[in-house]
Amino acid sequence: MSELKPTNHKAELLLDAVAEGHVAEVLAMETVAGCSTTFDPGWEVDPFGGVASLCQPMEADLYGCSDPCWWPAQVPDTMSTYPAWDAGKPSAPGDWRELDCVFPKK
Amino acid sequence: MSIGVEKYWKSWAAALLLGSSGAGAAQGAAAVSGPELVRSYCSGCHQEQAGKFERISDIRKTPEGWVMTLFRMRQMHGLNLGDDVRDALVRYLADTQGLAPAESAAGRFALERRPNAQDIDLGPEIGVMCGRCHTLARVSLQRRDEAEWLKLAHTHVGQWTSIEYSASGRDRPWWQIASGPLPGKLAALFPFSSSAWNEWQSRPVRDLGGSWVVVGHVPGGKDFYGTARIERDAGGDFAAHYQLADVTGFAMNGDSKAILYTGYEWRGSAQIGARSLREVYAVSDDGNRIAGRWFDAAHAEEGGEWTAVREGGAPQVLAVLPQSLRAGTTTTVTIVGNGLGAATLPVSFGAGTSVTKVERSAQRIRALVTVAANAAPGMRAVSTGAAVGKLAVYAQIDQLNVVPGYAIARLGGGRVEPVSAQFEAMGFTRLPGGELLALGPVSAEWTSMPFDAEAKRTEDEKFAGHFDMRGRFLPSAAGPNPAREFSGDNVGNLTVVARAADSSRTLEGRGHLIVTVQRWITPPIY
Repeated sequence: MSELKPTNHKAELLLDAVAEGHVAEVLAMETVAGCSTTFDPGWEVDPFGGVASLCQPMEADLYGCSDPCWWPAQVPDTMSTYPAWDAGKPSAPGDWRELDCVFPKK
Repeated sequence: MSIGVEKYWKSWAAALLLGSSGAGAAQGAAAVSGPELVRSYCSGCHQEQAGKFERISDIRKTPEGWVMTLFRMRQMHGLNLGDDVRDALVRYLADTQGLAPAESAAGRFALERRPNAQDIDLGPEIGVMCGRCHTLARVSLQRRDEAEWLKLAHTHVGQWTSIEYSASGRDRPWWQIASGPLPGKLAALFPFSSSAWNEWQSRPVRDLGGSWVVVGHVPGGKDFYGTARIERDAGGDFAAHYQLADVTGFAMNGDSKAILYTGYEWRGSAQIGARSLREVYAVSDDGNRIAGRWFDAAHAEEGGEWTAVREGGAPQVLAVLPQSLRAGTTTTVTIVGNGLGAATLPVSFGAGTSVTKVERSAQRIRALVTVAANAAPGMRAVSTGAAVGKLAVYAQIDQLNVVPGYAIARLGGGRVEPVSAQFEAMGFTRLPGGELLALGPVSAEWTSMPFDAEAKRTEDEKFAGHFDMRGRFLPSAAGPNPAREFSGDNVGNLTVVARAADSSRTLEGRGHLIVTVQRWITPPIY
């Protein structure tokens, strides 16, 4: 830690925790909370070939995938192709059961 | 997506696999020529010049590919077609702008919807450009020239506008690659014009009518065999009547209706007992063999192998069931094939075996085979006359392989069906020279355990699902689970363990299973 200099308040708190011997309580989350242009946790598997770093629960950020067309092979994009996919289902964690497959198998 | 659209698409899938829009309806639209259908329904956007329609005339695809194209035209551009018109368009386009058998061979696993198949390798550049969303089989099942591949890149960046910013897009000059060297490379691999297609189009259409010998394998289940009677109707479609039985004699009779696209792409809908099945088969160049995969209409991951050859052809063995015998045992063995029935022909299972109680017809021999206790392990030739097959003889099982070695299952719930993962425990015996001899599937007990420390910590084994008796992993329910860390989904990273008893020993094989979240886009070709 001596090589790192805190640049914000949260980082200073991390140093305080180290100084107070609370290192075991300061753990990086292996679970990624949502995709961004810097983190892509993967859809089926994470970058390490497992599932521990997938966005969990996926439903918490599902509309963050459909709105910006972020996983267009797995999640219908509401940006261009399926604008009404989530219509009337405002909460993915609450309404995910009502979301249809684009290509029904029957 | 509205329920109306879902119903619409159920009808779409039916058109491809079942021909259920009805031969009469299809023939009604078929009464109009293919070019006239394209002119009537497509040329509003795809301008006609010198007998060619913009973009359409520069692409060749599989029947599934054309179905997906017409789906996109409806979803993205509001093209509403009646079932009969759509069916006729797919037939016309697949027949006149399809793929030759040699061109579709590499990607057939995708058409057959084989679960956990190994994708083809097209190199790192195409892999990262196309393979981050699609199977590369999907790429390989299209034919375009360079200019048309470039238009596909334009289509992608226009329709999926964040494509440059997501992973494997933002970390490279995506557009420069997609619009620069890539179209030429794809055109070199998958060109619009090919000698294979030209030659295929000049082949005569095969009449599949007649009786066929059938044999098949069900992963995790029992092998089966029997007879198919295929009839061609006035419209050129096919009806098949199946009289099948598994190796225990359990009857599995049924019927199928099928369309033959492109002269060889059999797409059928079968009812076998209580099961509705889909058939994706290919007819051989000589028209004497039909082979592929069938699968459950609602669960494409559940299916099996299918091979049919015309009855009365040259003597041949299609299958020896079971494919291995243990030394010192007596077993009823079934040989399936052609030209097997002549009573004067001896039936031989090779050195160290003796045969009693032979029942035979031209397509089947059932024989009681005793393998001497001191029979040397190794492969035997199974023969009667000119028909020759193979049978493995072994003293003990030395190795157990879990197949597939890596698999994915998906959680299901709400309106998305779960996707199970079927495993088989494949036995091997080690011959004196050290080489392994395959014995085929063996019975095993199936369990799972954490794949790594993180999977152990998050108790994936407890949440992700469970095995049934036949090696099928049934994933748990989808959705946030309050009992898990961060209310996570019931995903899991598991080691699959198969254990089989062999005399006083227990053999163990291992595989890797990822249980992951559902997907809402489930097209005919991933």
